[in-house]
Amino acid sequence: MQKSMSAMNRRGFGRLAGSTALAAAFASVGRPTFAAESVRLIWWGNPERDKRTYAVVDKYNADKGADVLPETYAWGDYWQKLATQAAGGALPDVLQMDYRFIFEYARRNQLADLGPFLGNELQLDDFDQGQLDSGKVDDKLYGVSMGANSMSHVYNKTVLDGIGFQLPDSTKWTSDDYVTIGKELKDQLPDGMYFSENMGLQEPMLQTWVRSRGKELYTPEGKLGFEKQDIIDFFNYWRMMQDEGLTAPADIQAQDSGKMEERMHVIGKSLFGFIHSNQLVANQNLMEDEIDFVMIPNAGDKPGQYMKPSMFLSMAESSADKAAAAQLINYFITDDDANDILLIERGVSADASIRERILGALTPTEQKIIRYLDLVATHVGPLPPPPPKNAGEIDRSLRPAWESVSFGQVGPEDAAVQFYDNAAQILERS
Amino acid sequence: MAKVGPAPAGGALPPAAETGLSRFWRLHGTSYLFLLPWLIGFFGLTLGPTLASLYLSFTDYDLLTSPRWAGLKNYEYAFFNDRRLGNALSVTFTYVLWSVPLKLMVALGLAMVLDRSVRGVGFYRATFYLPSLLGASVAIAVLWRQLFGGEGLVNQLIYMVTGLQGPAWLTHPDYALSTLIVLAIWQFGSPMIIFLAGLRQVPQDLYEAASMDGASAWRQFRKITLPLLAPVIFFNLVLQTIEAFKAFTQAYIVSGGLGGPVDATLFYSLYLYEEAFANFRMGYASALAWLLLVIIAIFTAITFATSKYWVYYEDEAR
Repeated sequence: MQKSMSAMNRRGFGRLAGSTALAAAFASVGRPTFAAESVRLIWWGNPERDKRTYAVVDKYNADKGADVLPETYAWGDYWQKLATQAAGGALPDVLQMDYRFIFEYARRNQLADLGPFLGNELQLDDFDQGQLDSGKVDDKLYGVSMGANSMSHVYNKTVLDGIGFQLPDSTKWTSDDYVTIGKELKDQLPDGMYFSENMGLQEPMLQTWVRSRGKELYTPEGKLGFEKQDIIDFFNYWRMMQDEGLTAPADIQAQDSGKMEERMHVIGKSLFGFIHSNQLVANQNLMEDEIDFVMIPNAGDKPGQYMKPSMFLSMAESSADKAAAAQLINYFITDDDANDILLIERGVSADASIRERILGALTPTEQKIIRYLDLVATHVGPLPPPPPKNAGEIDRSLRPAWESVSFGQVGPEDAAVQFYDNAAQILERS
Repeated sequence: MAKVGPAPAGGALPPAAETGLSRFWRLHGTSYLFLLPWLIGFFGLTLGPTLASLYLSFTDYDLLTSPRWAGLKNYEYAFFNDRRLGNALSVTFTYVLWSVPLKLMVALGLAMVLDRSVRGVGFYRATFYLPSLLGASVAIAVLWRQLFGGEGLVNQLIYMVTGLQGPAWLTHPDYALSTLIVLAIWQFGSPMIIFLAGLRQVPQDLYEAASMDGASAWRQFRKITLPLLAPVIFFNLVLQTIEAFKAFTQAYIVSGGLGGPVDATLFYSLYLYEEAFANFRMGYASALAWLLLVIIAIFTAITFATSKYWVYYEDEAR
């Protein structure tokens, strides 16, 4: 009965090969989503945040007899997941939202206006007005800020203390001071450790850079708000840092794909790194050395940093039980038990009574965050205009643009001009 | 002719009353019933989405709002304006042209080594097949990322043996793609199994006769093994080429989803995926998917067309 492959005739064989080829070429994956009657909650996170959020959900389910279904993804997968669920009309009832995307989702009628719930399910009387306003789009409330946050330079305190170096007042230092300090410290650092992570590919760094020169990444009309010269200078600066040996060579720096456990300062390859203030706890958990942070050196005379809403809780317009969803949001934002668990992992609460309550329960690392934000609060500029559609693509295009400079394939000026023209084109396509 | 289907309930109908449809069901009903799961899968999960994507490729669709008809805009952009697409194509072609022949050579070589009755040959075959079972998985890609990291095992070995610091295999634009090609070659398992099956069919007396005539091993390989194996090589070539064009997981994981450094590992599928889910251009991504289908079809057609010059079938007249 055995029929050998080589004895098969040409036509039969061709058909077999052809149909297998066709099937292989068409193979695609699909996963249906199912609507559930319970309240679905989705967030992007890290192990630390997931642990705390699951604990809050468990407590809520147990205390209130609710049935909340939690889902979590890493940042990169999260937005793909959310977009496909939105396309299928199956967004989870309560979702974590980012400042970058809230306008996009709100203006496309994916998010519910939370206004009608204020004073009823949502009790936000103790909430900071500025943080509340940051969740408004076209004067409607589409998200409640889960905490305040800002960019920062994180540094290895253990190493720096070991050298016995005293950092200057970080509310006043400049990008030139940063270079001077780097050159002074360079030879005293442990083997394999460079002074700084190379931040030429960090979009928030570019943003602080242009803001400290009195400009913005994007205008309120959704055009580029800075000049070619700004990014030329930015690339030149970080190329110079690399050439001076103050940052790691390109191929070492490129090992950091943005995941927390790959960051240069986390793996001990740099003294300084860039993070958002709420990431300190998670970063510290990955390291043995103690870390702390300071403000970002300004490249001009204006404050480059600003207080960010770290993330929002929003409600899907498609939610079947909006009241239940609003109650869950309220629980996360204002409940004592919930915030005793969450503390400030997502940023410092904008609810004054919560802030006061949790202060004593904070670890030394978390107290650093409160102290840092107190310091930053008095030295920041205004919240920038909302990023336009396709801003995410421009953010992602900064990495290859910078890498072409750091690997020496393109000069800083040419790469900067290419990036700028490309960004303008991306905005035009939106 | 014996009855094929089951007898209809209530006994056989008189032939005159039988309509075409009921006759069809009597003859083929059972077969279609058994085929049903596959049919549902094919129409619901393959053909449906495929046609939907064809429609979407002519629209502007950002996943959040309804698709808007855009005519040929997406295709025009792909052909005339998309610089990154050119880059993605060149990465993918490089990958296909290197990884497929090398992988097939390794697979054939090992299949010939394993086509012997030594002790424990089953164990060796299983062991050599293992990488391709695991090969396309996320876990292996993660492992690969660590092995070939700047301070990974590979560089430690290089340092131990030569005392030299190895390159950053995955994060230097000069090496990243080659490393992924090596990863692809390592997944030689399934073509190897098919080669093994093919080798089993080569009559041993041909070799005996050849060696009596004093033909060297190389000559035997060229004059006996290769020609008789041609249909199998052809089959593997077609399948592996298609697989290679669709390569995604390795590049996605190994480059952290970025296709970096400097887009050096921006495979076509990776770029397509990024356009669809990161840049919210599902319409354009659908157009890219159809272009990929056409590219694969052209390559497959070329392979088929050349096959008549080098693929030999036993039942053919000489």
